[in-house]
Amino acid sequence: MSVQVEPKKLKWVGQRVRRKDGPEKVTGSLKYMTDYQFENMVWGRVLRSRYPYARIKRIDTSKAKAYPGVICVLTHEDVPGFNGFGIVIPDQPVLCHDYVRCMGDAVALVAAETEEIAEEALQLIEVDYEVLEPVTDPEEAIKDSAPKLHPSGNIHSRVHVKNGDVKKAFAEADVIVENTYYSPRQMHAFIETEGGWGILEEDGSLTIRCPGQYAFRDRLQIARVLAWNPERIRVISNPIGGGFGGKDEITVQIYLALLALHTGGRPVKIHYKREESVIAGIKRHPFKVTMKTAAKKDGTLVANKVVAFGDTGAYASLGGAVISLAIEHSCGPYYIPNVDLEGYCVYTNNGIAGAFRGFGVNQVCLAIEQNIDMIAEKLGMDPIEIRKKNVYHQGGLSSMGHRVTTSVGTWKTLDAAENCELWKNREKYKANPSEPWKKRGIGVATSFHGIGMGFGLPDYGAATIELLPGGRFLVGVCSEDIGQGNGTVFAIVAAEALQCHIDDIDVIQGDTRRTIDSGTVSASRSTYVGGNSVLAAAPFMIKLLKSTAAEIFKIDVDLVELRDGKLWAKVPVEGKNVLTYADIYQYLYEHRRETKVEGHFMVPKAEKQIGNNVGMPHHVYGYQTHVVLVEVDTLTGETEVLRVVSIPDCGKVINLQGLEGQAEGGAVMGMGYTLYEDTIIERGIFKTTNFTNYILPTFKETPIIETIPIEEAEKTGPFGAKGIGEVVMIPIIAAIVQAIYDATGVRINHLPATPERVYKAMKEQGVIYRG
Amino acid sequence: MRVSEIELVSPKSVIECLSYMAESDRTVRLIAGGTDAVVQMKEGKGRPEVWINIKGLKELRYIREEADGIHLGPLTTHTDIARSNLLKSRAEALAEASWQVGAEQIRNMGTIGGNIVTASPAGDTIPALYVLDAELELQSLTGKRRIKIEDFFLGPRRTVLQKDEMITDIIIQPQKPNEISIFQKLGPRRAQAISIVNVAVKLAMGTEPRQCLDGKIAFGSVAPTVIRAKKCEAMLKLGTLTDEMIRQIGKTAWKEVSPISDIRASAEYRRDMAGALLERGLYRLMKRWESR
Repeated sequence: MSVQVEPKKLKWVGQRVRRKDGPEKVTGSLKYMTDYQFENMVWGRVLRSRYPYARIKRIDTSKAKAYPGVICVLTHEDVPGFNGFGIVIPDQPVLCHDYVRCMGDAVALVAAETEEIAEEALQLIEVDYEVLEPVTDPEEAIKDSAPKLHPSGNIHSRVHVKNGDVKKAFAEADVIVENTYYSPRQMHAFIETEGGWGILEEDGSLTIRCPGQYAFRDRLQIARVLAWNPERIRVISNPIGGGFGGKDEITVQIYLALLALHTGGRPVKIHYKREESVIAGIKRHPFKVTMKTAAKKDGTLVANKVVAFGDTGAYASLGGAVISLAIEHSCGPYYIPNVDLEGYCVYTNNGIAGAFRGFGVNQVCLAIEQNIDMIAEKLGMDPIEIRKKNVYHQGGLSSMGHRVTTSVGTWKTLDAAENCELWKNREKYKANPSEPWKKRGIGVATSFHGIGMGFGLPDYGAATIELLPGGRFLVGVCSEDIGQGNGTVFAIVAAEALQCHIDDIDVIQGDTRRTIDSGTVSASRSTYVGGNSVLAAAPFMIKLLKSTAAEIFKIDVDLVELRDGKLWAKVPVEGKNVLTYADIYQYLYEHRRETKVEGHFMVPKAEKQIGNNVGMPHHVYGYQTHVVLVEVDTLTGETEVLRVVSIPDCGKVINLQGLEGQAEGGAVMGMGYTLYEDTIIERGIFKTTNFTNYILPTFKETPIIETIPIEEAEKTGPFGAKGIGEVVMIPIIAAIVQAIYDATGVRINHLPATPERVYKAMKEQGVIYRG
Repeated sequence: MRVSEIELVSPKSVIECLSYMAESDRTVRLIAGGTDAVVQMKEGKGRPEVWINIKGLKELRYIREEADGIHLGPLTTHTDIARSNLLKSRAEALAEASWQVGAEQIRNMGTIGGNIVTASPAGDTIPALYVLDAELELQSLTGKRRIKIEDFFLGPRRTVLQKDEMITDIIIQPQKPNEISIFQKLGPRRAQAISIVNVAVKLAMGTEPRQCLDGKIAFGSVAPTVIRAKKCEAMLKLGTLTDEMIRQIGKTAWKEVSPISDIRASAEYRRDMAGALLERGLYRLMKRWESR
């Protein structure tokens, strides 16, 4: 049973549809969960570690407990169940009892009448530490001499993929380049810092209102710590003031739950200040990537050898998966027959790293794209030509050695890049810098990103559709809207399938009581999985509508036709021969019948796993090419991105406005990663704790961004759609670095390419102003 | 001191404010735009027992030209300055500096008086005030004194201002018809950032092409306070300001500065950038002069 709509008859899919949540978000009328205050509320605060690495000798909370206005003080002794959390391996203590392993570690919780009293009470908690030497360099961390931060050692995971004969290929190659690349510890910098509410309800159940990216998994993690039946916990995780992966892992949900059990039913609120968010929250993994790439004279790539170290900080979170995805994508969307790809995910005392838009691919994209540019330069080849020559096509083999049977748009995105106005007129654009000491350059790069969880990992979606009074529909998908606009996507898919106006669709997301489990909001998956889930539910709704109409018409269901959003009797009947959805609702309501249906969807998988690497390969990928124009001030090293052409292949576009929003936001986030952003940690201590020194691009740095979608329809996707949330920020990284090289002749292999780094490189290479 | 327990008083006049400052037995601090004071308060630094809120003292917010110079009230906001036609034509460096302070919201709230008394070596308006020969009127209940801006700063966040004194007037010398000025700032991004280095330059031009009769140069963020670059200033008068001459003057700047390394930049980069910004500023000034 499925819904078929002829492409040319699509009414909503592919149009520029205004975000359903747009008006209240842009006018500021929407209240986020952390905006609320309640009369009888109490404030919760978290005591953090004083050192990046230390042994806890003693914790004394007596003074804090006795302090006026304090309601409770909790330590590891107050954790009723399992004292740990973590999506893959729960190795992060909820409240530390023996060691602290980073500055973000939580040691105690306080609830108090006011935020100030809670803050003061934290100061009264006495913790005696034995200070230990922190482990801060991943390469040092894996040596036997390094202190072991976890019983299993400091290597959290190792990924290795080997195909062909790398040694022989390098020996026979015509060109070889080898470079080492360093990437920054980017922070998510969502507007709404981590926070929320915990409320012990009168019936003894617990409600946690906390922005997150997977309410059902958050609920399981809370239940494990409380040793509670998860059904007694309700998690509400929508709306969210930005996620980008930073709210994929548990943030404050468990603290809220523990405190709520000790406040006598009063609602407890935690809302991090920016500084606490920076120190406690996860970050993007900084990588060191050493990559050696070889080609034949004609530009055919023949070998790639990669060693990547990812610094996951004190705890695993999704670090293992990040390294795995990085290795899977480390050869780019190309076919390279001989590869030896090795990745290490290493524990240190440098904060905690985890999920972040791009999930490891950002770091390796810089390496492979730069190496390819250097090969092209050595061979005198055009950068687009060499890429077109080496990309894999649908039905072909990837560098992982698996056959990619799903849609592949790389070649077309490169072709569009070659034919875009900016690229065709690049010499003209470069010839006229705004001041004589400035130099302009153009860069191009391409990348890809897996959709969903990959081989061996359960990946599943579900949706409900409920017929409402007046013939409206309520579409429920638990997967939250973290800013990307997936709620509007679900509404478009539903409106298309149910032949109704988009304004007649309401969407509910992120509530374990009112929606059913549809998996995470991560891995660029919610359009593909959520959209397919809505499409799986729609036929059941149509069946309900038709069978009810047949009952009213008193005819066989086969004689009922759904056309133009109404139900028609194909044969003469008593009374009117057409029924609206409102009529159907009225009939069902009067007969006390169910008006809600469910649809379920299993994400298809590739045929076989790559080695024994869990999650590898993916079945469906989104593809993306970027072209950028930059201007570098040779006096200061400042780089300005003037223009960006973003060419995504996301399969069929569901919402053109949404796609452009993602493409523009992704471009700016990628620009920030390349030029400005880095959370600096020295000897385990955070040096950039707020936006004074953590530099984000603002509107002033935002260039003109043009989006040219390539719609390489994927037959397993909803209406042919794939996913786009992450890849839109990836190749721009390498494209900017390449453009800086084109402008100045210096290659920046250590990001961000701050004015100081660019200037220093120019100075070392003698690039000077010649006005 | 808890933030919630700090008192706030709002005097109706300068005299009332000065009386309060002189007579209060509690620790007091003035607060105007609050763009620095509030940030410090949140960090637990400089929390007084009483805030004296002077935001409402309209008598301290003005821009007017008088016989002895242009007078600016200390409560004049950066937006006021950046939008003033008088300052845009006769005190270009100051109007440009105010335009580059923070973001729109900060410029709407932040005041020039606040930027001065905060006494950050990176304060954006201060180099401009140096080259425009600014003087400050400091007033207490017992009297007034007038001092040159260059004598006001003792070190980072330290000034000669006494506990019972406040700035009540800022007097700058407007540019004469043959004078031009400019403010240049290097931050980690194009706007809304603390300066890594900044520089203000004012030149008096002669009748010959690119003939400079006199000039003043002041750098920020490269020493414990804003400093004048007197060797570079002397070089301005050595001959025609050709591109080559400008380059040489820029190169000399590193001898004038003594920066430190911090999270924003290394000392070495700051030193090179002092020269680069001066060079860039002089190129741009010459272009501006030649297009007049």
